[in-house]
Amino acid sequence: MSQELINAIAEMNEEEALVLTRQLLKDGAEPVSILEACRVAMEEVGKRFEKGEYFIPELILAGEMLKSISEEVKPLMKQSAGGATGAKVLLGTVKGDIHDIGKDIVNFMLDVNGFQVKDLGVDIPPEDFVAAMKEFKPQVVALSGFLTLAYTSMKETVEAIAAAGLRDDVKIMIGGGTMDQQICDYAKADAFGKDAMAAVALTKQWTGAN
Amino acid sequence: MTAKTSASTIDAGKGPEQLFGERLTRLQTALKLGQPDRIPVQLGFGYMLSEMGGITRQQLHEDAAKEQELLEAAALRFQPDSAMSVFNNPASSLAIGGDAMTKFPGHGLPPDGSFQFVEGEYMKGDDYDAFLADPGDWAIRKYWPRVFPGLAGFAALPPLGMAAFGHYSLYNLGALKAPPVVEALRNLAAGIEAQAVADARAVASVGRMAALGFAPPTFVGSLIEAPFDFMSDTLRGMRGIMLDIHRRPEKLLAAMDRVLEFELEFAINWSRATGINVSFIPLHRGSDGFMSIPQFEKFYWPTLKAMQEGLVANGIMPFVFYEGVWDQRLSYLAQLPKGKVSGLFQSSDIFKVKEVVGETMCIAGGMRNSLLQAGTAEEVREFTIKLCREVGKGGGFIMTTGIGEMEGCKPELVQVWVDTTKEYGVY
Repeated sequence: MSQELINAIAEMNEEEALVLTRQLLKDGAEPVSILEACRVAMEEVGKRFEKGEYFIPELILAGEMLKSISEEVKPLMKQSAGGATGAKVLLGTVKGDIHDIGKDIVNFMLDVNGFQVKDLGVDIPPEDFVAAMKEFKPQVVALSGFLTLAYTSMKETVEAIAAAGLRDDVKIMIGGGTMDQQICDYAKADAFGKDAMAAVALTKQWTGAN
Repeated sequence: MTAKTSASTIDAGKGPEQLFGERLTRLQTALKLGQPDRIPVQLGFGYMLSEMGGITRQQLHEDAAKEQELLEAAALRFQPDSAMSVFNNPASSLAIGGDAMTKFPGHGLPPDGSFQFVEGEYMKGDDYDAFLADPGDWAIRKYWPRVFPGLAGFAALPPLGMAAFGHYSLYNLGALKAPPVVEALRNLAAGIEAQAVADARAVASVGRMAALGFAPPTFVGSLIEAPFDFMSDTLRGMRGIMLDIHRRPEKLLAAMDRVLEFELEFAINWSRATGINVSFIPLHRGSDGFMSIPQFEKFYWPTLKAMQEGLVANGIMPFVFYEGVWDQRLSYLAQLPKGKVSGLFQSSDIFKVKEVVGETMCIAGGMRNSLLQAGTAEEVREFTIKLCREVGKGGGFIMTTGIGEMEGCKPELVQVWVDTTKEYGVY
């Protein structure tokens, strides 16, 4: 695994990271080792984000680098690398709301912390959360929302999960924009998180992960 | 601020004319950082009007007479100092054939959906050079056709610089006869008519509210954005702008300088033409959490500060919506000209806001929308008293919700909030 590549990604040197990837592949490096370097670099990016050194520009650029490197590496892969094996989190922005920035950051942070995340996207009606729960069987459901209208959608989503008899199977967190403890109580969720780090901490706490 | 008055008798016996004068003075005094007779209350009802009136949100946006009727009824019921309905209006967008970046109830959303922006990378990274060379030409010939399907024909126009060719530029008018250009011009004319009608209604609404005794809302002014948000919201989108910070910082900075220049010219001309010396500036990506402090210092703050200073130098008060949370960057706001700027704060710690910028600017906000939706009367009352005592202290405070939109708020809690402010907000 190339420490140089890890550093290039973690330091946001986009061009260098791509040049290094191509050079490594040309020199016969295992594709899997390059993806492993990416994973380690992403962990570092996540840590710096948690510490308040990195912000959204860096998360987005890191995501772009990961995408470009994957495009170089994937055609050379004989078998797919093993995915995350951690606890499962079902994520989505609730009905009527199409905001995705906060949700995407939560996805990124849960992913780099080893959780299996299924992201349903935005404007997700309660019945779609319920259907996805039956199939994906998550331990945690994370509801995102930015608009004040999401207060009601969150409440309806939790009610639909309860009506489907699935409420005791999961812990539910809410977050985003103007959410607070008041809305958590109103929606009958288990917890509210003010940022992506809170989402990770809650998931760890609820699933016993380290 | 311990003197207690009764909300029910406080304005008893006053006619609309007297109320209008008192309310206008109350708001103006607070905006100038002074201490009025009591804390002014502004209600940005938004979709709460359709909820109270039993109509859809689409009807609220599109039936102006009904909207006005509901606004008047709500204002008369709660008796704030100023009141407003929904901020955004789909009229001109619908008239030109729709746009790619908004969803209105009934248009891309169910009749009871909430208006939303659809961010996209409507300006590509390699559009910067054309934008910098001539933003107007780029906007009309490249950008409008992308975002307004009804104006697609403008892509066929000659470079707008050819208009400087005097007599010979008239020989190019034939190009405007091409069917797509004719259609675009026709759609544009329809948009102009629709916007003129909407503008006239807005002016009439303010006049009608004044006749009932309500002052104009503080949102009434020219609409501009921080240059960074101007580049982000409707042009590069979140992903694009955040990548620009790393990939093409110099071009982004140069583009923001151009934007600052024409936004200021626009706002100054707008104020001269209307006599309304206010600019409403909603902020987005400068909030805590989007970029680091060094990035904020380099990319966001310099042009936002210059914009506010430029407005103030021309006698215009910026009414800035500090959306999101600004707790980590309030000290920058304290650098602004004292008593000449104002801010509406969404989710910042309002008590900290008072502490850090209370001597710089009038603060609007304070009440949490969540409390008016999911709280109890007692909680609302207690929090309102705390706001009056701490944020209202010494004046320079306008009581509003943190968001200029009150969908989902319970009318009975709104009544408690307004009445408590009148009781405890007396200086």
